[in-house]
Amino acid sequence: MKILIVEDDRSLSASINDYLRLEGHICESAQNYRQASIKAGDNSYDCIILDIGLPDGNGLDIIRELKDNKSADGILILSAKSSLEDKLEGLKTGADDYLTKPFHFAELSARINSIYRRNKLSGQNEISFNEITINTSDNLVHIGHQELELTRKEYDLLLFFVANRHRIITKESIVEHLWGDEVILTDSFDFVYTHVKNLRRKITEAGGQNYIKSIYGFGYKFTDN
Amino acid sequence: MIAGGSLLYFSIRKQVYKQIDGSLITEKTIIQDQIEQTGTIPDFEGSFGHQIEVNMFNYTLPPLQVIYDTTLVSKIDNVSNSFRILYFAGNTSEKKGYSIRIMSSLDERKRLLEYMSFFMFFIFLSLFLVSIFLNYIISRKLWEPFNITVGRAENFDIQSEYRLELPQTNIDEFRQLNSVILAMTRKMRNDYLSLKEYNENAAHEIQTPLAVIRSKMELLMQRKEQRKESIDLIRSINEATTRLFKLNQGLLLISKIENFYFREEKELSLKRIIEQNIENYKEIMELKRITVEMESANPAIVKMNEVLAEVLISNLISNAVRYNIDGGFIRCTVTDGYLKISNSGIPLKTDPELLFRRFHKVGDNPQSVGLGLSIVKKIADTYNMEISYTSTGNLHELQVTYSGIRP
Repeated sequence: MKILIVEDDRSLSASINDYLRLEGHICESAQNYRQASIKAGDNSYDCIILDIGLPDGNGLDIIRELKDNKSADGILILSAKSSLEDKLEGLKTGADDYLTKPFHFAELSARINSIYRRNKLSGQNEISFNEITINTSDNLVHIGHQELELTRKEYDLLLFFVANRHRIITKESIVEHLWGDEVILTDSFDFVYTHVKNLRRKITEAGGQNYIKSIYGFGYKFTDN
Repeated sequence: MIAGGSLLYFSIRKQVYKQIDGSLITEKTIIQDQIEQTGTIPDFEGSFGHQIEVNMFNYTLPPLQVIYDTTLVSKIDNVSNSFRILYFAGNTSEKKGYSIRIMSSLDERKRLLEYMSFFMFFIFLSLFLVSIFLNYIISRKLWEPFNITVGRAENFDIQSEYRLELPQTNIDEFRQLNSVILAMTRKMRNDYLSLKEYNENAAHEIQTPLAVIRSKMELLMQRKEQRKESIDLIRSINEATTRLFKLNQGLLLISKIENFYFREEKELSLKRIIEQNIENYKEIMELKRITVEMESANPAIVKMNEVLAEVLISNLISNAVRYNIDGGFIRCTVTDGYLKISNSGIPLKTDPELLFRRFHKVGDNPQSVGLGLSIVKKIADTYNMEISYTSTGNLHELQVTYSGIRP
């Protein structure tokens, strides 16, 4: 995927760049409105990660420019503002999704993937990982040909894992992904543990391999090696 | 007035007695003069309207003079009368003793005194009442600007956008008072605003560095071949960062509520929001083997901001889950007037009121930042809802009364 990172904080911008490169994406960055406007105008990206609070302008205007040029770039707003109004305004302007700082990379990755699926792979709603196939339009999961019965949370969890395959996912990011970060936090990570355990059991019982590895101290990694 | 009245009464009485005594003594002197001049006891017709009784003795008497009050009962009409009596004794030149009693009736004077007192009492009383009334009228008029100032200063709300306005007055002291109060409230309001702005900005600006810390940390986590020590270090940093993030997020939310950021209101069903939240925690509840009961006759429609309603309910439900015991229960009662969430839990050791304070924590749960209920309280205050927390033994009950915001 080709991604443009528009973020005025150089350090944060560099981190996002590093992480997304690890995932195998090609990244470019812009530190201000002017650069962002030029880059977004000249090139096309699979996804633009856009901080709306830029020193020399409002990121929402970039979205407007893109929409005026009939650009099909996916847009993920990244902002320190977390109110619903900002979210709604961003989405109304034409952004595909909205993420507030500070975020987990796993979450960022999941959102980018989902934008990519929706935007570029329209029609193709299947994600596969070896024998596991997830159909995101009807929320069905198959192991080989066998359908897997998952609860809503287990399904979300699996999708989150697959979007972040081969990466370490912290329990915190799973909690936030499943229960939302507006909720000032639910208990210990026992819940995550239980969900992961159930998901793992269901996959292996259906004949799938156990891809969910526990990583000491951090959380989990969904990987086949 | 009572003191003045009795003083007057007694001084008049004293004067009256002094006058009676004077006339009695004058009479006595006349009688004595006559006795000395004529050597005999004259047959008296009492002057001054006094009655005189004379007794003669064949022996001498020691000279004596007493004045006293007495009451005598008239033999004719059996009416008792008061008298002031001067009793004196002496001897004539023929060495014969005599005693004379000069009696002055007190009744008339007493009646006079009573009339006077009665009359005086009325004058006093009416004067008193009139003066109170006048005083009231005058002071009300006089203190009116002061009272208005006090009343407005009392209702002054530092969070309100309305500036304090005080009436014009011609009285220098009050004008001075008003200008001091105006200057003071203006300064308070400005200080409050700049403090509020500082808080908002601080909370807001902290988000980006926090995002940087978290991002670097997560990059660090992805590195291969980690040593156990460094994993533990990273994990600790991660926990602290998450906590700081939650804390900041909570404070930011409170500051937004205070700034009326969530203005947009619409009609919402609290019942539906509660059901959604219960659904969200379904698995967690199953894990803790918590049973949930929902009691609601109607959808409980209220007019409020959607975000705030969501935050309010999710905080209440998550608290009921978090502080519950294994195998416990949660019971939600929703009506058009109030919402009550009862849950089992361990007995509360602190004062329930403290729970609504910022940063008050129950137990040592490292993931709790102690802001949940103070956010709930803030939202409740915004909509003039009443909120009460009771805890008896293992039962905890939180009730929110919202009769004021029904559409």
